[in-house]
Amino acid sequence: MPEGSKMKKPDVKVVILGDMNVGKTSLLHRYTERKFKDTISTVGGAFYLKQWGPYNISIWDTAGREQFHGLGSMYCRGAAAVILTYDVTNWQSLAELEERFLSLTDTANHDCIYAIVGNKADLTDPKAQLPQDSDRVSEDRAECEEETGSQVLSTCPTPPASPASLSGVMVHKQVGHEDAMALYGRILRYKGLEENGSLPAEKMCFETSAKTGYNVDILFETLFDLVLPSILRKRNENQQSPTVDLEDCRGGNNKRGKTACC
Amino acid sequence: MESENQPRGEAEGVKIHDPPSESSIPAADTLATSLSLLGNHMFPEHANPVEINDNTIVNKEAPAESVLSDAPAGEQSLDAEPQVNQVKELETEESGIFECQNSMYTQPAGGVTEEADMSNGQDDSGEFVVTMLARGKLEEQGVGVKGRSSPLLETGTLEAPAFLSHRDEDVTAESWRQHRKHVFVLSEAGKPIYSRYGSEEALSSTMGVMMALVSFVQSGDNIIRSVYSEEHTVVFLQKGPLVLVCVSSSRQSEQQLRGELLYVYYQIISMLTQASIARIFEHKKNYDLRRLLAGSEKILDGLLNLVDSDPSFLLAAVHCLPLASSLRDSLSQILQKAITPNLVFSILIAKNQLLTIVQEKTVIEDARLEPADVHLLLNLIGASSAFQAGEIWTPICLPLFNPDCYFYAYISYLDPPECTVCLLLLSTDKEAFYAVAECKRRIEEAMVAQNSLSLIAKAQSYSVSQVGVSDLRHFMYKPFDVPDNYRQLTQFTSPEMEAPYSSEEEKMRLLDLYRYMHSRIHSTSRPLKLIYHVAERETLLAWVTSKFELYTCFSPLVTKACAITAITKLLRWIKKEEDRLFIRYPPKYSTTPNPSKSSRGGKSDQQDSTDNGFLSLL
Repeated sequence: MPEGSKMKKPDVKVVILGDMNVGKTSLLHRYTERKFKDTISTVGGAFYLKQWGPYNISIWDTAGREQFHGLGSMYCRGAAAVILTYDVTNWQSLAELEERFLSLTDTANHDCIYAIVGNKADLTDPKAQLPQDSDRVSEDRAECEEETGSQVLSTCPTPPASPASLSGVMVHKQVGHEDAMALYGRILRYKGLEENGSLPAEKMCFETSAKTGYNVDILFETLFDLVLPSILRKRNENQQSPTVDLEDCRGGNNKRGKTACC
Repeated sequence: MESENQPRGEAEGVKIHDPPSESSIPAADTLATSLSLLGNHMFPEHANPVEINDNTIVNKEAPAESVLSDAPAGEQSLDAEPQVNQVKELETEESGIFECQNSMYTQPAGGVTEEADMSNGQDDSGEFVVTMLARGKLEEQGVGVKGRSSPLLETGTLEAPAFLSHRDEDVTAESWRQHRKHVFVLSEAGKPIYSRYGSEEALSSTMGVMMALVSFVQSGDNIIRSVYSEEHTVVFLQKGPLVLVCVSSSRQSEQQLRGELLYVYYQIISMLTQASIARIFEHKKNYDLRRLLAGSEKILDGLLNLVDSDPSFLLAAVHCLPLASSLRDSLSQILQKAITPNLVFSILIAKNQLLTIVQEKTVIEDARLEPADVHLLLNLIGASSAFQAGEIWTPICLPLFNPDCYFYAYISYLDPPECTVCLLLLSTDKEAFYAVAECKRRIEEAMVAQNSLSLIAKAQSYSVSQVGVSDLRHFMYKPFDVPDNYRQLTQFTSPEMEAPYSSEEEKMRLLDLYRYMHSRIHSTSRPLKLIYHVAERETLLAWVTSKFELYTCFSPLVTKACAITAITKLLRWIKKEEDRLFIRYPPKYSTTPNPSKSSRGGKSDQQDSTDNGFLSLL
């Protein structure tokens, strides 16, 4: 929390949508707190501010419950990126994205980026059970390996070649990567976007595990990198606005002002 | 003493006002069948349905115009024997009860040897003694709730706090039946909506029977209110298209149980609003409301746990954290300064207790925030903490303030990662998140400047020893409207529960004693003003006047005179400390409505009935 500092103005807005119990809060928690813990059903929406380099990214973690459906479009207003989350072990959760959540994104920016994320990959995919690492997440990796490593040792006497034993049983995977990519295509069509002018499906469909951390950092960081142009454009627009922003003079990183975005 | 006293009060014996008698014979058959069906599930130890009827008192209330009292017929068809009256005679314990109605006089219900037992219960006296003995034995074992001798009782009565999810419970298991208090919510079409224990699907037939009971009685222009069996009280509450049922072995009064069901109803309303629920069921009688409540079960579970463990609900008053009045005032001022258009309530909470509450002037001019609404808010916060850094924005309805409209609640912790101090800002503007979040920024800043957080961290509840009355173990004091907090939030004060009430079991036992005292004080048939009750391990005195309601618990050997002196001292102490114990002068602010924000202007701002949007799905 900022110690009584001036409110950091968010530069860009990212919204996580998806049916309940697919793990939206857990994904975000894994990313920001580097932990996986039991969460309780989110009420309404929860707002988080994430520092990404010199930028402040606001993330809305929304409730998947139908009860809060009406607020969805409010959370999505002016969003630069929307993370549509489903559960790889639950076909319905993918269907819900199209049925319930896609229309909520009508209030998002016209150049909004869509990512489709299949969470709980650790339940179906052996390679998601051990944390996949990139160079950037080395500390996380150490931590995770510690966790899962000990689990593996205690639960399976044989070498962890078949990580299925980690959780005991492998759950049947109901949603394949292709299904998600097909949905991505349909979303582009719904938005009236050209497939070749947009980001490719391969790049925007992820399978993650909030439990092991698999692909979680990659997901958020890819998105953050992708929304940068949107941030810069916005700052440009603000610069052209006739209002003088006094904060301009102080900001060392850029001559452009940071004015409220949403 | 909470053992055998439940059918007292309005429920003395069999009370059936049957509809015109031509329908009563076949009708009663159906009712008896329904009862035994329900009984088979709820009380399987009575394998024989006839036996259930023997022990069951059905208590119905007829609309005044159609009362055609036909009690004998009812009894006949229900197989209810005069023996049912016995239950009520067992109301008193080995301990003596000394009650006063306005002036002090001894009431026949005192002690086992009093006339009350002679008048009605004589033919059962043999059984009576046996019951008493059995109960005494249970009490020795320290079982909080008595009334049956099953060894499973101990596990069943205590709500293990760690065991939070009861969703997967096997509803055919004996342990499921042993739960102290079941709560079911169903729709008028008999569709299950919520069950405290076990999944609703598994219970759909049970709920179907419940609905059959309700509609059967309804078909005779009657309303079913309660069913008494030896060990259980079944209470029904119908609210709009929802039916709420409580099956309790807690020996609470019907009135109290109905009050608890009302809290459950309000919590559902707080999530969906009354208007939406009405509209939904108007459209589609057999709508499955679980679609909209999915994910909210924990909020209802949490509420029911709180209702059992927190006397705020019983007293319908809020408990605020004792705080030096200067500190409370400064916190209020901080809240008062950080305002934005359409903000109506600013509430600061620490350790799940109120620190202060500041409200918009015009909103509260002719309505006040009801304790029940505050309870629902506190429960929501308790049951929904996202992880620390997040700021929550969610619609919430305050059912007693206005059951048909939403407020938008901003919830954020001020002291992560401890998360004990919580700020709650309520706005009527759905879009006001960023403006309200900015208010929080300002509040946070001011609190840092004044070092408020560390001062709040030092605040804590007090020990009864501070009162300086040796035999006093615990008390609950609820003042009524006094001139300077006229029309303000009803509050009560109470010290920590200390030894011998430090274990969960003992806490519950003391609360049960208080509930019993409360039920006597508030009995509809014979309300009392003063009760001096010598229980087995403590002595209690409850006293209600036009100024306050007071419940005290003393060590067992205290004399009546001692207790009276102690209470005088206690009242003096409370008077002296009241600035610290209560929120005395809740400040108000005025947020000028911002006309540019919306077309709604002036007073109608508060009545923002923005549809949450889910209706579009129908």
